Order: sequence, then C-alpha cells, then structure tokens
Amino acid sequence: MQLKRRKAGRVGRAISAISATLLIATAASCENSAVAQDFYGLDKAGRDNFGPGIAYTEFDGALLIYQEAGGRVQAIEPTANLAIHGARGQQLTLGAVADAVSGATPNGAVPSDRTQTFVTPLKPQGSSTTVTSASGGSTVIQLPPTPGQVASASLGRQYTTAPNTLPMDKGFRDHRAALTAGWSQPLGWISEIGGGAGFSREEDYQSITANVRAAKNFNSDNTTISLDLNGEFDSSFPFGGVPTGLSAMNAQFKPITTRHKTQLGFVLGLTEVMTRNWLMALNYSYDSQKGYQTDPYRVISVVDPTSGEPTSTLYENRPEQRKTQSLFWDNKLAFGPTVTELSYRYFTDNWGISSHTVEASERINLAKSWYIEPNVRFYHQNAANFYRAFLVSNAALPAYASSDTRLSRFDAITYGAKIGFRVSGRSELYVRADYYTQSGDGHPANAIGQLRGQDLFAGTKAAIVQVGYQWKFH
Amino acid sequence: MEIPLTATLARAGRDYLGAFKAMATPCEVRVETDDAELGRRVTDAVEAEARRIEAKFSRYRDDSIIGRINAAGGRKTAVDAETAHLLDFASQCFDLSGGMFDITSGVLRRAWRFDGSDRVPGASDIKPLHKLVGWNMVSWRNSCLTLPAGMEIDLGGLAKEYAVDRALAVARAITAAPVLVNFGGDLAVSGPRTGETRWHVAIASVEKDDAMAGMLELVSGALATSGDARRFLLKDGVRYSHILNPRTGWPVKDAPRSVTVAAPSCVEAGMVATLAMLQGKRAEQFLKREGARAWCIR
Amino acid sequence: MVTALVAAAACTACTAIGPRPWEKDLMARPEMQLVPYPLQTAADEHVYFSKEASSGGRGFAGGGCGCN
Repeated sequence: MQLKRRKAGRVGRAISAISATLLIATAASCENSAVAQDFYGLDKAGRDNFGPGIAYTEFDGALLIYQEAGGRVQAIEPTANLAIHGARGQQLTLGAVADAVSGATPNGAVPSDRTQTFVTPLKPQGSSTTVTSASGGSTVIQLPPTPGQVASASLGRQYTTAPNTLPMDKGFRDHRAALTAGWSQPLGWISEIGGGAGFSREEDYQSITANVRAAKNFNSDNTTISLDLNGEFDSSFPFGGVPTGLSAMNAQFKPITTRHKTQLGFVLGLTEVMTRNWLMALNYSYDSQKGYQTDPYRVISVVDPTSGEPTSTLYENRPEQRKTQSLFWDNKLAFGPTVTELSYRYFTDNWGISSHTVEASERINLAKSWYIEPNVRFYHQNAANFYRAFLVSNAALPAYASSDTRLSRFDAITYGAKIGFRVSGRSELYVRADYYTQSGDGHPANAIGQLRGQDLFAGTKAAIVQVGYQWKFH
Repeated sequence: MEIPLTATLARAGRDYLGAFKAMATPCEVRVETDDAELGRRVTDAVEAEARRIEAKFSRYRDDSIIGRINAAGGRKTAVDAETAHLLDFASQCFDLSGGMFDITSGVLRRAWRFDGSDRVPGASDIKPLHKLVGWNMVSWRNSCLTLPAGMEIDLGGLAKEYAVDRALAVARAITAAPVLVNFGGDLAVSGPRTGETRWHVAIASVEKDDAMAGMLELVSGALATSGDARRFLLKDGVRYSHILNPRTGWPVKDAPRSVTVAAPSCVEAGMVATLAMLQGKRAEQFLKREGARAWCIR
Repeated sequence: MVTALVAAAACTACTAIGPRPWEKDLMARPEMQLVPYPLQTAADEHVYFSKEASSGGRGFAGGGCGCN
C-alpha cells in the first residue's frame, strides 16, 4: 500500500482536463434536455417514448367521416402524416389529405310559404357536378339566346324549393387533395428553426401556403418563445365564373373566371412548464386577408317590405379586407392517470365578429392499454356587421351583404369522446366521435310578414367520427 | 416516463442515508441534515439520475443508446449531445493511453469469463474476437458513430463513475448540505462535512466481503477503485486479472489487485485507476509519474 | 474546482419558474405534448374553420381550402 502525491504528469493532466470538459459539457446538456426526458426506454405503461437524441419516424393515419343532419353535407377524409425525427432535433414532416364532399348546402335564400325557383349555370358533362333531375332535384333549362354565346352555355340548371323549406342546392359535390411538407431543426443558439409549404387543390379552389418558424428555449427548457410567419395564396375559380356581388342570381357564365386572396399572418407563442404537472401555452395571432372572400355560390333574398315574400335573389358580397386577431390560452394538467386540457380562445376581426371558445377534455388512462377521453367545447360568436338574413326591396342596397349563418350570431356546442388502445409499445389505435350543434336566432325581431313563420337560422348539426392510428418506429 | 424509485431512507448518525441498488451494485447517498424530507428529495433525485444513466448506457438493453449503436450492423448511428461528450471522452482516453483504454474491447469477454475458475480460453477463441477490437477502426464524427459490423462498444468502464459525478451535481443543485454519493465504491463528496471535518471512507478488502483494508479521509472530490476483487481466473498458479489488454486480447499481467485513486471528479479518478491497472506491474510507477493520489493493493 | 463548476452550471435554474430537470417525468409523457394527435387537431380545426367565422389561435388561421 502506498499513497502517492507528485506533480501531475502529461497523461494525468490530460485526463484531468478532459474529465472537466466532459462534466461541464454534460452538465450543460443534461440541463438543456431535461434529465427525465432523456431517460430512454419504456415508461410505466410500457410505451417507448423515444426521446431527444434518438432518430425515429412516426406515422399517423386517420379517416374522418363527417355527416350533417338533414341530408346536408357529408364528407370522407383520409389523412396521413409522416414525421421523421433526426437524432439532433431535426424533423421532416410530410402530410397528405384527400377529401370527398357531397350533399346539399343552404344557398343563402330565406324560406318562403311559396315554391321558390333558382337558376344557376349548368356544369358540362364530365364535370363531377353533373346533376340529373332524379338525383339532384334539378332540371336543365334553355336560356334565352344571347348573341355570341356558345351553344352549351345557352343551357342552365334550375331547381325548386318546396314551400316552408330552407332553400338548398343539392348539386354540391367536390374533391380535394392536399399535400404539406415541413422541416425544422436546431441551429446555433436557436432551439428550432424551420419552414414548410402546402398545396391544396379542389375543383374550384386552389390554395398555396408557406410558413417559417423559429423558437428559443430558456430556463432549463421550461420556457419556449416562438414566432411563426404564415402566408397563403388562394385562387377561387367557381363553376360558372365569379358573379358580381349583389347582382341578380342567373344561369349565365360570368366573364371573370378567377379571383385571388392573399393572407399574411403571424403567431407569437409562449409555452411555459409551470410545475411538474402543469403545462401552459399562450398564443397571440394576427392575420391580414386581402382579396376575394365572398362565397361565389351563395345568394341573399330580397323580400317585399310588407309580405316578406322574396322578390329577387342576389349574389352575396363581402369586403375584400379582413384583419383578424386571436388570443389562445391552453393548459395541460397531469395528475395521476389523468391529463386534463383546458383552453380558451378570444377572436376578433374588423368585420365586427368576435368569438369566445372554451374547450375541455379529460384523458383517463385505464388499466394497461386503454384510455378514454371525453371532451366538450363551447363556442359563441357575434355577427359580422354586414350579415343580413335578407334584404328588403324598398331599402337601398348596402355595399356588402351576406346571409351566411356562419357570419351570424350563434352558439355552438360539441360533445364527444375518444377511446384509445395501445396496440404495442409503439403503436396506438383510436376512435373518437363528436356531435356538433349550432343554435342561433331563427326568428329575428326584424322578420317581416311570412318570414315571421319561418326558421331563418340555417345552422349546422353534424356528427364527426374519426379513426386513427399512430405508429413509431426506427 | 415515470422512473420507478425504490430507495430506502434511514437515519445514520448525523446523516440521512438513502440506499438502493442500481447498475448491479449497491448505491448510497448520505446527506448531512436533520431534515428527512430533504434527505428523501436528494435520494430520489440521485436515484433517478443513476437509473437514467443506467438505462441510457446499458449495453444489455436493446433500447439504450449503446444497444442501438451495437445493433446498427455497420450503419451510422446519430447520438445525442450527452452520449457524444462521453464518446469524445472515451476517444481521447484511447489516444492518451496508446490504445490501452478501448470501449470496443468488451467483445473479448465472450471468451474471457472471470468467474474465479480455471477456464482460460485458447488463442483460437480469442483471435477472431480480437479482430473486432479497436476504436481506431470506428468512424466517429459529427455526432455520428459507425461501427464496422460485428464490433460493439461498452461504456461500462465509464458509466458508473460518470453517474456518481452527475448524481452529485444533481444533489448539489438541491441542497448546500454536505452530500456523499457512493455507487459501489466509486464515490464523490460535495465538500467537507459541517465544521470543516472530513468524510471517512473505508476501502473494502479484496479478500473478504466485509473486511476493511484501510480508511481514507476525504474533504472534497472523488474516489474511484479499479480492481479485480473477486473477478479473476486462476490456472497453474497464474492469476489472470479481469483487466484485458485490448492490444493483445489477453489479461494484463501482474496488475495490482486494486487501485484506488483520489481526484477532483469520479470520472477522472476512475480513468486514472483504470489506466494504472492496464500498466500491469508498472502501475505504481505510472501513478507516481502522473502524480496521482492513489492507493494500490497487490 | 471541477465539481464547483458543475454545481454552478446546475444551479442557474434554481430560482426560476418551472420544475427541475429530474421533475420532468410527467412532461415527457406523449399525451402532455400540446398537440399529441396532430391529425385529430387538424380535423377539428378543418371542421370548425368551415362552420364558424373564427379560425386559428393554436396555429395559423388559414384554411388552405375553399370550404369557408
């Protein structure tokens, strides 16, 4: 046995230096990446949560079925997402969505105690919105000849609405396909920097989106500040052309075929881990939209000032500028086997709309592989200042008018529940169902004549079912 | 992602003593305090850190980073910052030791089983395995490690000491009270006990389970021991120590039974002790030349 | 010297808001991510975007479709 003490030699000094480097460097990296999050392997429930520093891929697939009450819109939407995570925080995401929508949509006109007739341009053969009188309740009509028009354009489509029924166009059918791609990674002192783009195409609409994002973590990763910049460029090329706002509904093809809309906005976000159990996020968003925001298919009734009978039907017209702001506050609380989410959103815009949204969900992890998650959502909005259920024939035309109930004052409530099942440590299957109802004022004080006997709120009731699968792998 | 904690907590003199088993060894943490709640918090944090490091760097777990690297089959594995720092450290130690410290040498243990028996493998067993040893054959750059197919790495010669340093750092972030962290004889203290007194550390005997070979007094820093205690082979009167020379594939000859080194950190103490063992009969000479504070048992 | 530096690095977060690194076990659970099921969130936002006048908040208010 001997205890030695001498001046350190070359190897000893070097080991001393590299040991110090190792411990200081790992102390910093352990602080930054949250020790427990760095814990590799399976959690109590047997799930493989991967974690920072592990490269893995996550596949998400889901099928959404959406069905509105009263034989209105139904949609089937398969979606898939692939997220490829690199070991150093890089992330590549690819997404695809397909949409098949069909059914009847309220055209915006008020119900009447008499039969109403509407005319609209006839889609040529081969278009997916070909309508037969049997299925769509429409008939082909011969338009009065106009000089210089091609033969097919001299035909129109006409549909009728029975007395005391909400006028609906049953010829609505559309397909949509969308692709998204995004990339993000840490870069120097920036915790996350990235960008993405999306493309969506429908038969009468196209949308191109782009976004960039930067985020910085502070305070042992307990605080994140992020900024997202978003842009969207949309083209609307409605069937039959773009109608002139507040002109009479007709079956002619319109000379303007395409209108555009641009949207620019940002989201400033703060995410804070408040305690071991409580995660909070606060977002402020601002968006500016310019261009064509009118629904080209939607009309508004002009009614007689005493009888309330529709005397004419005009295409709606909306302002070309919209500026929106929202404040979103999200909380997630983990206690025992439960995770509670509570969020609130305040939204306001320069169209006079403001809204409050409260959402709550409670995930309860049951024995082993199952969980259930009931949820509820309350929504209230005020009407846009150009919302009119109808126009009156003896009054001057306003500059903008829309009878779209989505721009009216209404409340909406969603009830739902989700059941999830862990198939393996790395995959999960879930099913959820939601029921959504809007309720608004169907009998406004300004209703005239026969309108007093009609329900003027054409709100939606819809069931939403979604089946999804998540799979993580190397 | 909850880490199941199992530590027991007991009053021991002026300290609260937390004890648990991790990394196949008894682990303890002493907190000099009268506050049982503080003792519990420190113990839990220390155990969580020990279990995190054990799970992350265990070569026995397919889902650990080491398991993933070893199962990559010749493909590149990207690693996180913490693993990268440890691999950098191991790489530097390989260079400093002229290839004597090599984290790829673990494959040799398939031939060498140090169970106190006389089963010494033959050269034909060792040769094919020895071809799989050599940190200089791996590609380690830009936080990506590529092992040639068949090769493996093992941070076992490093992880326990690293866990001691990390656990002490975690404990010090919680309390200013004097703390001692001891994972199977590799230990570190946060500073002197109250009243500027020293920690007394017993050096376990290599011969008997409970006997004490000596007592060290420690004010600050760390102690680590490299030794063959009960892990050796004995054949024809030749004692084969469990310290393998990666350059030959055979145990180091005439190594001390154990080397205990004191240093500012447990990682440093452990590395100096390991390199001393690898020097064989020149262990003491090495320790003297490098100016280490060390205790050798032959 | 070394241990002193390690402790100094570890102590920078002592007084700040939020849990210590070893208390982040619950935050590491997948369901504690802000958006654990992106396709579910996307479906919700798509439906509400097409049925209400408000959009965004959680993220971008744009819809990427002509459904509004």
